[in-house]
This record gives sequence, C-alpha cells and structure tokens, in this order.
Amino acid sequence: MLCTEFEDRLTDYLESALVPDENRECAEHLLSCRECHALLDEVKLTVQACRTPVEPTAQPVGLAARILARTAPPAPMSCEDFENYLTDYLDGFLPAPLFHRWESHAADCTGCADLPGQVVRSIGACYTYINEELAVPAGLHERILQATLGTTQAEAVRAPLSARLAEWMRGWLDPIVSPQFASVATMLLLAVLVLSNTISTDGSISGMYRATVRLAERTYSRNANSPIKGVQLPADGEILPEAIPAALERNAPHQRKDDGTKPNNPGQKKDK
Amino acid sequence: MGVAFVLAANEGAELVRRCRSGDGAAWEEIVQSYSRRIYNLAFRFTSRADAAEDLTQEVFIRVYRSLEQYDPKQGDLQNWLMRLARNLIIDDYRKRQRAPQDARAEDIEDHSYHLRTSENSAQREMERAEIGRQVQAGIDKLSPDLRTCVILRDIEELSYQEIVDLLKIPEGTVKSRINRGRIELAKILKRMRVVEVTEV
Repeated sequence: MLCTEFEDRLTDYLESALVPDENRECAEHLLSCRECHALLDEVKLTVQACRTPVEPTAQPVGLAARILARTAPPAPMSCEDFENYLTDYLDGFLPAPLFHRWESHAADCTGCADLPGQVVRSIGACYTYINEELAVPAGLHERILQATLGTTQAEAVRAPLSARLAEWMRGWLDPIVSPQFASVATMLLLAVLVLSNTISTDGSISGMYRATVRLAERTYSRNANSPIKGVQLPADGEILPEAIPAALERNAPHQRKDDGTKPNNPGQKKDK
Repeated sequence: MGVAFVLAANEGAELVRRCRSGDGAAWEEIVQSYSRRIYNLAFRFTSRADAAEDLTQEVFIRVYRSLEQYDPKQGDLQNWLMRLARNLIIDDYRKRQRAPQDARAEDIEDHSYHLRTSENSAQREMERAEIGRQVQAGIDKLSPDLRTCVILRDIEELSYQEIVDLLKIPEGTVKSRINRGRIELAKILKRMRVVEVTEV
C-alpha cells in the first residue's frame, strides 16, 4: 500500500470502518512505514485533545448589562416630554423610537390619554373660527379714505391728465404689444402697407425692383452707343457686331465668352 | 380665507400703479378688498372692536404711505399688504402688552359675526358663531407669546418659517410656543366645555 492510499483511509482505519482486507493492508503498511505510523499517532492525539472539555473563560465585564439594555423595554416617557412632543407627533415628525414611546405613554397614562384628542379638537375649533368673520364696522372705509385721501369721495380724486392719458394709451397699446397678438399685429400692418401701395405685390417697397430695372434700362440705352474701350470705331461710326465680344472679353475677363449679350440690343438686356 | 374677494396678482399691481398716479378709486378698491381681513386679524389680537378699528385704519395709512415701496416682482399685493399688516398688528400687540392695561377686552358677545356659509341651517350657524366667540375667549387667556404663535399658526395658517421671519425668533422657540399654546388652548377650551361639544 502506498502512503497516499493509507492517508486516504486513515480516518476510516481509526474508526474501524474498513473492510477486513483493507484493515489488514493498513496494519501491514503501518508496520513497515515509520512516517505513516507517526502520522497516525499525531492524528490520534489531536482527536483526543479535541474531545477533552475546556473550561470557559471569565465572562466579559458588563456584557449582561449591555444585552439587557438593548433588549429591555424602553424607559417610559415623562408627561412633560409627552406634551413637548405633541405637536411633532401630530405633524408626523417624531422619529420611530420616540413615536412608539409617545404612543405607549398615551395608552398607559390616564392623565395624558385625553390630551391629544383635546388638542386636535381645539385646532379644529380654530379652523372653524377662521371662517367666522366679523363684518367691517360701518364707517370704517370712510374713515380710512378720509385719513388717506383727505375725502370720503374717492371717485372725486382723479389722477392728473397726463397720467390718465398715459393710462388710455396703455389700454390701447397693451393688447398690441403683448406677445400673443404680435403676429396678428404684423399681418395687419403688412396689409395696410400693401393696400396703401407703400409695398408692392412683389414684396419690395413702392415697386423698388421695377423702378431699379427701369433706371437700369434707361442708363443702358443712353450709353449703348458710346465708344467701348478697345473697339476701333470705323469712319462712319458704326460698330461692327463681331468686334464687340472680343472687346468685352478684354475689358471684363471674368465674363463668360458665350454670354451672347448684344450691347446694342437693349431689348435683350431688359429681358435678362 | 377671510377675504370677501381677492384680487388677482396682476390686478393688484395695476391698482397700485393707478394709486401711485393719484387715482382715488383704485385706492378705494384696495381698501374694500382687504379691510375685512385686516380688521379680523386686528380683532384677534386686540379682542376690542374699537381698538381693531383704529389699528385697521393705522395699517391702511401705513400702506398708503408705503405704496411706492411695493414691487410686484417680489410677490402679489395681498402677500405684501398682509405682511405689512401682521408686522404692524404684532408690534402694536407687543407694545400694549408692555404698557399697563387700562381696560379689559370688551365682551365679545356684543359683536355680530358674519357667517360666510349661507347653506347651513340657522341652528348650525349659531353653533359655529358660538364656537368662534369661545375660541377667541380662549385665545385671549393665553400668554402673549403663546397667543401670537397660535393665532399665526392655527388661524392665519402661516408656516413655521413665515412665523420665524415675522417674529424674528428661532424656529425651535416658535415650535415650542405653538406646541405649548395649543396644549394650553385645548385645556382652556376643555374647561369652557367647547371641545367636547364640537364636531370636528
């Protein structure tokens, strides 16, 4: 038998739980192996030591008192504390430990048992009182007006004309300048401007675009026959059509070559 | 609560603008809109009709002189006006507490209460009016500090923070006074047999 096999069976061997053949093999191994024999003796001693009863050490000082302090019922609340915590209890602000002590006191103390109910009814009576109103004594309004305005006829005291005028203007302007009416006011203003021909239907002011085009046509036609730089005028003063594009290209290199613009053709320019 | 009709925020700003320009009718409209609420607030602190009337007039005189300071961007007219009124009424109340009292609060039963709810039966209205009178009587019995806090919290329905801002005292003190004031008021009303018969 190998030592490892013996170690596996060691506990069973000690407890005589092995079958006879295995038990015999273990006994034979112990006779031949000094290490396993020593191991067996150590295990036997250890098991024996564990089974020896141990005397308990002395109890820590104060342990019993601490346990009792944590498990004993809470100290009763005094009547004075009960009254001090009453509003917090009614408002629901008492923490749980105080809450239970407070309720215990309310249940146990005959002197305090009725107090919470009385206070709740008293608060209720105050709320009833809120709705009970004294009418303002006759003549009080007049006294106040006399003391402040100097007269009981408040209607007679009117704001200065400038203030009333400002008030009247504000009455008109307030709805217009309010954000809710901004879009409506804008549309109305636009309609008035179009109807009064201040703004043209093309969106420009007073037909500005059309006026600009007319001015451009006039200017163009006036200068159409003026000499163009780089074009040689013939003796009769007539410009050859084929000479114009080349001259334009030299003077304005950024213009397209296939522009096809006929400088002496105002009608074509206007269409453009 | 407590106002015959409340002006819209922009309407209030417009009225103030007209007042500034010298329009008496606009000022009259402000007076009519808020006099009732301010008068009732003053009455809750003074418990006297004549004192509440004088105080209401004083508040409106102060408001009239302060109209230039009103800025619509910092809140609507009602908030501004009621804040001013509360400050003046509480200042007046504190002054009166320091000064010797030469007259006790008059019998509040002499007042006729206006009831807003017209659908209730006459019997029910009488009960409610009676509760109102007794609550006012109970509030009158509170100490000045507790009384101020209870009125502001449970009748004017201000938040804790608003009361802190108004009275310039720490929040813990405000909460403590409200708590103590509620308990005291509850005990007073119980002795007056108000809360037992009240259906809340």
